[in-house]
Amino acid sequence: MNRPLRIVLAKVGLDGHDRGIKVVARALRDAGMHVIYAGLWQTPEAVARVVADEDADWLGLSLLSGAHLTLVPRVIEAMRALGASGVGLMVGGIIPEADVPRLQAMGVARVFGPGTSLDDIVAFLKESGVRGQESAT
Amino acid sequence: MLEQLLQRYRQGDRLAVSRLVSLAARGEQLAEIAQALPAPSSPARVIAFTGGAGVGKSTLIGRLIALAQAEQHKVGVLACDPQSPLTGGALLGDRFRMGATEDDGVWIRSLATASGRGAVAEHLDLIIRLLENFGFDVIFVETVGAGQGDVAVAALADAVVLLLQPETGDDLQWEKAGILELADVIVVHKADLPGADQTAAQVRAMLELSPNRSVPVVQISTKKGEGHAELWKTLLGLPKRRRLT
Repeated sequence: MNRPLRIVLAKVGLDGHDRGIKVVARALRDAGMHVIYAGLWQTPEAVARVVADEDADWLGLSLLSGAHLTLVPRVIEAMRALGASGVGLMVGGIIPEADVPRLQAMGVARVFGPGTSLDDIVAFLKESGVRGQESAT
Repeated sequence: MLEQLLQRYRQGDRLAVSRLVSLAARGEQLAEIAQALPAPSSPARVIAFTGGAGVGKSTLIGRLIALAQAEQHKVGVLACDPQSPLTGGALLGDRFRMGATEDDGVWIRSLATASGRGAVAEHLDLIIRLLENFGFDVIFVETVGAGQGDVAVAALADAVVLLLQPETGDDLQWEKAGILELADVIVVHKADLPGADQTAAQVRAMLELSPNRSVPVVQISTKKGEGHAELWKTLLGLPKRRRLT
């Protein structure tokens, strides 16, 4: 990677727990990435706007509220509507194992469930590189 | 590749702006991009906001975005945050304080700023031109707020707003750094806190020592929702004096 990876971290929907996402933000910064923290209570459309305007390589969504199967498709659609489908998408938080294949089928490159280490997330992003879609399998 | 991007940019493709800004921010293909941008028929009003960490620059900008939008302006925001000299990483956390928006009348871009080079990201003048040419007629620039290097910001902007907060003695710090000389407007932010009136009075006294300048001092409180309209009106009354390259 010859330039810093730009990643937007955001929480969509009604979920006010931001400690985890802030810990991840700092870890990614310490790993040399440029982290755009988009904050809490975002709508899918607002998140897509951030991703597009910030020319992000990746979007990391933090979802603890159980609404992932509703919200992730809306975010994907909002990004598509703005022409940002090429941006890599990863999801973290409380995601039941059973739902992971469905999320992946929607286009989520990686799901980080509870117990994920920060090293895992950093390693994944470093391997994937900038412009997520280029190296997604 | 660049030619395609520039074509899309001319056709009003917002993603192309984003990509071009990234190129400019990284210092790539600057001459080619600059050449492709015509001189703006109507230059944007560019206002820079400086002040120490935690003084509330992002929050204030967020309020002004709303005021500008209410007057049908299209607002661009360039928010500079420091980049770690050790890891090269950056936590770009200004925009979330400015209020989320889905609407395309606002464009907020976060820029990692290498330390020791000044208060704003490199190539900011070209980035401003990219936004200006795309139709953003008000552009707010938020500096990293470290204090040194803010002098360069004055050349990029039509006006520099310095934010102070009560009871931190930071008015003296800014005077030492020479920023007080450059500010076009001084905001005493968090004016609901004790000491706000004294801070404003101290600043006015300091300014009186330079008789040639008349610099408005505006007290603003986010909590009380006071002072924003006054600041906006003051900013609109200032001349556009930015050096256009």
